[in-house]
Amino acid sequence: MASMIPINILRIIFMVFLQALVVSRLQVLDGFVLPWVYIFAILMLPFETPKWMVLLISFVVGYIMDLFSGPMGMHMLACTVLGWLQPMVQRLLSPREGYEVNQEPTIQKQGLRWYLTYAGILTFCHHFVLFFAETLRLSPFFYQLGHILFSAMATVVLMVIGQYLISVQKSRG
Amino acid sequence: MKNIFELIKRHFVFILFGILFIFSAVVLFSSNRYQRAAFLQQSSDWVGSIFEWRDELQRYLRLKEINDQLALENATLRAQMPDNFFVIDTTVLSKNDTLRMQRYAYRNARVINASVNRESNYLTLDRGIVGGIRPNMGVISNGSVVGVVTSVSDHFSVVLPILNSKFQESVKMKGSGDFGLIAWPPGSDPAYADVKDIPKHVQVNIGDTVLTTGFGSHFPNDLLIGYVSQLNDQPEENFHRIKIQLSTDFRKLSYVQVVSDIFKGQQDSLMKQQQEHDGVDDSH
Repeated sequence: MASMIPINILRIIFMVFLQALVVSRLQVLDGFVLPWVYIFAILMLPFETPKWMVLLISFVVGYIMDLFSGPMGMHMLACTVLGWLQPMVQRLLSPREGYEVNQEPTIQKQGLRWYLTYAGILTFCHHFVLFFAETLRLSPFFYQLGHILFSAMATVVLMVIGQYLISVQKSRG
Repeated sequence: MKNIFELIKRHFVFILFGILFIFSAVVLFSSNRYQRAAFLQQSSDWVGSIFEWRDELQRYLRLKEINDQLALENATLRAQMPDNFFVIDTTVLSKNDTLRMQRYAYRNARVINASVNRESNYLTLDRGIVGGIRPNMGVISNGSVVGVVTSVSDHFSVVLPILNSKFQESVKMKGSGDFGLIAWPPGSDPAYADVKDIPKHVQVNIGDTVLTTGFGSHFPNDLLIGYVSQLNDQPEENFHRIKIQLSTDFRKLSYVQVVSDIFKGQQDSLMKQQQEHDGVDDSH
């Protein structure tokens, strides 16, 4: 458990920088698709992390992200919701005998289907709050809905690709 | 008493969530551009230097494009050199001009962070108070309008561009000289903006040029803003609905000039004097 702390801190820093310096600069379809991949760091927090800690870490990550973009509070709000939901969704999707000790929520350990459900639900919730906080209204409705859905899909796809890339590295090295 | 502690302990995570959620919401809803500036000032040093570092890298990758842009600007300026003109009347050209005083001063700055696809967009420049930048100065690029400086820290400044619903500037049609207001519908295409308040009796054609008025003293007179690209007039309204194509490409912005009006103090104090004299409380 203790050995997981530094790797998680490093992952948070890396993901925030990746988001602020690279991914946020991508202009896919004039900003219609806007992936927020930094939440990967929150999704990767191990199963044993206490709920309050997940919540606090998410809040801080949201605060740092806010410093880099947009009006203050947007990411703080979305990440607080994400940090609250993350342990719930983990429990909802847990196998009957519970998760094994020292496991991480990854594709390799839990399977692609489990991961898609897990990341899909959380990413959609996060993006929904985020885009809603940004616009403070949902008009035009279908445009916004498409905006949220396609951005969430892009985020999930990027996170899945990222994990496969990491696993290829590990198996080679 | 013991029960209350038990209750708090049992619902600790939910209470924590509630506190953080309400805090974030308050920050979000109370944040206007000044709030943003206050936050930025706190963190401007490190966030600013990170953005600067990224921009340095990016600028290197875009050297060719920036070079072309500068070469074009050089060519335009060279075309205006006195050497290029055939002097018809030698009595008119005079270098030591005592009839005119310089009114606007220009400072170079670099855009180190920009957003174009949000609901309200901002730019960050790499110059601040130390570089002579003050709030309410105009920002232009290649002779066309970019935005207005809203807040400055020691080494960085934040610009409110046309691509923000809070941006307000009066504009005029070239030729007829009729005034209107420019507005950008939040979240729309960053290449276009709307012009309002131009009455229907004014003849407007597609391709007409839209210029600054110089009223707000953010910008000099007759600076280019864009060209009329669409007319969506509604029969029941008395004003045109004009869509213009902005002449600034916000997605490729890298070098800008900040305009300062040397006479701004004079103009403002005169206006204030007059308003006090008239007893008008005009909160512009």
